[in-house]
Amino acid sequence: MENLTTENSLRLIRETIEKSRNTIARNSGKPLVLWGILVTVTAFIVWGLWTKTGSPMWNLLWFAMTAIGGVGTHMLTKNNESVPENTLSRMLGKVWMWFGIISTGFYFLIWVAVLICRATGWGVETAGIDFTLIISLLLGLAGAISAEIMDNKAILVSVVVSTVLAVLMSIMLTGPTQILAIAILGVFTLIVPGIILQKTSK
Amino acid sequence: MEEQTTFKPLDPLLHSELRLAVMSVLISVEEADFVYLKAQTGATAGNLSVQLDKLQGAGYIEVEKTFRGRKPCTLCRITEQGRNAFSGYVDALQSYIKKAGK
Repeated sequence: MENLTTENSLRLIRETIEKSRNTIARNSGKPLVLWGILVTVTAFIVWGLWTKTGSPMWNLLWFAMTAIGGVGTHMLTKNNESVPENTLSRMLGKVWMWFGIISTGFYFLIWVAVLICRATGWGVETAGIDFTLIISLLLGLAGAISAEIMDNKAILVSVVVSTVLAVLMSIMLTGPTQILAIAILGVFTLIVPGIILQKTSK
Repeated sequence: MEEQTTFKPLDPLLHSELRLAVMSVLISVEEADFVYLKAQTGATAGNLSVQLDKLQGAGYIEVEKTFRGRKPCTLCRITEQGRNAFSGYVDALQSYIKKAGK
């Protein structure tokens, strides 16, 4: 053990740092995949129910998704609590945490505004706010920042192409079909980057 | 003769496989617990404990005994002194390699 040569020492340092970084990166990919699956499945459920019933109230399922995602993330963290944080995992975590806070908070405010409009007759319901467009842009921004943090061009291309497609869908489509833009983003800004992060770290 | 005197001495505390591996893990994270260090280095619990004590004794790492929920947890962090020592060790290794390459 004590017969470390110069080359062996440097190799040991490089391999140990790499192994630890890969373990942390693999661990960071799991929540992305979980949230991606939740977003995509919820988008399809909302699309299906809204199409079938004609009621946009099914959009309230996004709040249920947030709660399920929160519990799921907590369980993932608990199962891997010995894996520490490094710069990459910390920055990814913060980017997506703020995306979650801003989008959920904004969505909540929209619903509050709608309910106030209905109860009081003030203003115009939803005031022409296109929630799908705003969420598409926020998802695209968070995905692009994540791709830059991971320094991965494939993820960046996946995020940019899917965001452009989702924004076009948000502008050109109305009603339940518009929600499918979120499903596309769920796959290409969350699931694909999460899987790439896990695969490239093996 | 001149060249021999410019070799930087290798820190004997870091010139050990397990202690070097522990420092390599800790250099890139804020803190790591005992379970993680054991998994990353492949060491036995007993040997790891002994080496952590040596690193702590030298002031290279801080060790904090705490709880995660109800489970006891040993957290290790590299200190500024440890960071400097690790950096000095890597510099010394590189100076050896440069000399050998000449």
